[in-house]
Amino acid sequence: MSFDAARTVKSEALLPNPLLAWREIDGAIVIISPEDSVVHELNPTASFIWKQLNSNHSTGEIAQQLADEFEVSRETALADTKELLESLAGMRLLCAADRRKGSVHV
Amino acid sequence: MSRTPMMDKLVLRTTDRHLPFSVHLDLTYRCNERCVHCYLDHEDYGEMNTAEMKSVLDQLAAAGTLFLTLSGGEIFLRQDFFDLLEHARKLHFDISLKTNALLITPARAQRLKSLGVRKIQVSIYSGDPAIHDGITLVPGSLERSLEAIRYVKSQGMVVTLACPLMKQNLGAFRSVIALAEEMNVPYVMDMTITPMIDGNHKTVDHRVALSDLLPVLSDAKLNPKIGIAPTLSAGDSAVSSGMPLPEGGDDICCSAGHNTCYISPYGEVFPCVQLPVGTGNVRTQKFEDIWYHSPEMERISSIREAQLAHCGTCSIRPYCERCPGLALMEGGDIMGAYQRACELAEMNARLAGVPNPISAMHAHRASTGASNAQVFHPAQTKLVAIAPLRTN
Repeated sequence: MSFDAARTVKSEALLPNPLLAWREIDGAIVIISPEDSVVHELNPTASFIWKQLNSNHSTGEIAQQLADEFEVSRETALADTKELLESLAGMRLLCAADRRKGSVHV
Repeated sequence: MSRTPMMDKLVLRTTDRHLPFSVHLDLTYRCNERCVHCYLDHEDYGEMNTAEMKSVLDQLAAAGTLFLTLSGGEIFLRQDFFDLLEHARKLHFDISLKTNALLITPARAQRLKSLGVRKIQVSIYSGDPAIHDGITLVPGSLERSLEAIRYVKSQGMVVTLACPLMKQNLGAFRSVIALAEEMNVPYVMDMTITPMIDGNHKTVDHRVALSDLLPVLSDAKLNPKIGIAPTLSAGDSAVSSGMPLPEGGDDICCSAGHNTCYISPYGEVFPCVQLPVGTGNVRTQKFEDIWYHSPEMERISSIREAQLAHCGTCSIRPYCERCPGLALMEGGDIMGAYQRACELAEMNARLAGVPNPISAMHAHRASTGASNAQVFHPAQTKLVAIAPLRTN
């Protein structure tokens, strides 16, 4: 997928799992899953992407911001973003947006 | 949270940067049990209301707190408990609860799960209802607590049994271990019985004499230090929510005031639930102003092991679980040694095979002819200076 094409593909399909505990600690995102009590620490690039995910940006928008922030090509930024999202989803740190809306019952 | 290299790294980093990584917040001192050893005054002198509690949570999240322990008193007695929990969830805390679980129903357990509560610690004093209920003074409480634990466990949350050991249940500690093993949950035994927050020492009467603790200290399940040279770290506690310090950090006594603190239902901020040095009140000050600029917090966090008069040079310090708060409450000096810690360290060292262990304080007293009798310092032991601020 080209970068421009990616801009039209919204990443609403994947958002941070609302049940996760997470905080930015000294510049790095630290995540704890209540399911398995595993602690994850994201590197600076992944931390940047995580924060953008929480601001409801599309994959393309995130990749563009990543390219601007870290001075890499848009193609590299997009590939890195997609790879990270797949990795986080594989660890169940991201979930589908529609499921996310219904996850918190009060 | 179990010890992992990553957690150790985070604890060291947040300690080094003086970030409030873990905070213990008591939502209320009211309780539906009347445990004979409890250090709290269960009257409500004007707890923070819902808006004040939410403001505290907002400020903690902004300050970088990740680990949040909600405790009491009995947390489920607050009518706004789930409202506060929902707010904490939205702020992405790692949430642990301390409760007697009497008010946890299957529906409430499900709701706790849906709000991302990761860990729940429940006080269990014995597998024998007569002993447990005799401590809580609530008939049927053991049965109700165990039933609630099953509800919580069925939801997949981590449950820990917490058992403070006292005269009444010393002989029953193995029944708590058996319960934990039967339920496949972890447990923590705690030999710390503190004076009450109003300075009253009647709770200390329930403490087990050190000579009677030998079966506990000799139990390999409870004291893995037997026969080996231990590392110096704070042990698990049924009361404190401080973070065990990994090796390789700065020369500090414990996490209190470095990356952890305690907030009372009245808004008072302390370095730890067991360290009665008031550093400010979130009702009248911003949390970050207290955390970063309170002279008392700065004083506590500036203390280093090497500065401790006796303990800094004590040869059996690795066998000791000295607590700065108990040093203040029991010895009158946050920098000092205190009798019970010295005696426990000597027992632990003896069990580990150290010949004729003697603490530095005892050696000093022996050389000067001073008495080793325990002297409490009630003037130092008032944990919460309660000022009626009825805002509810």
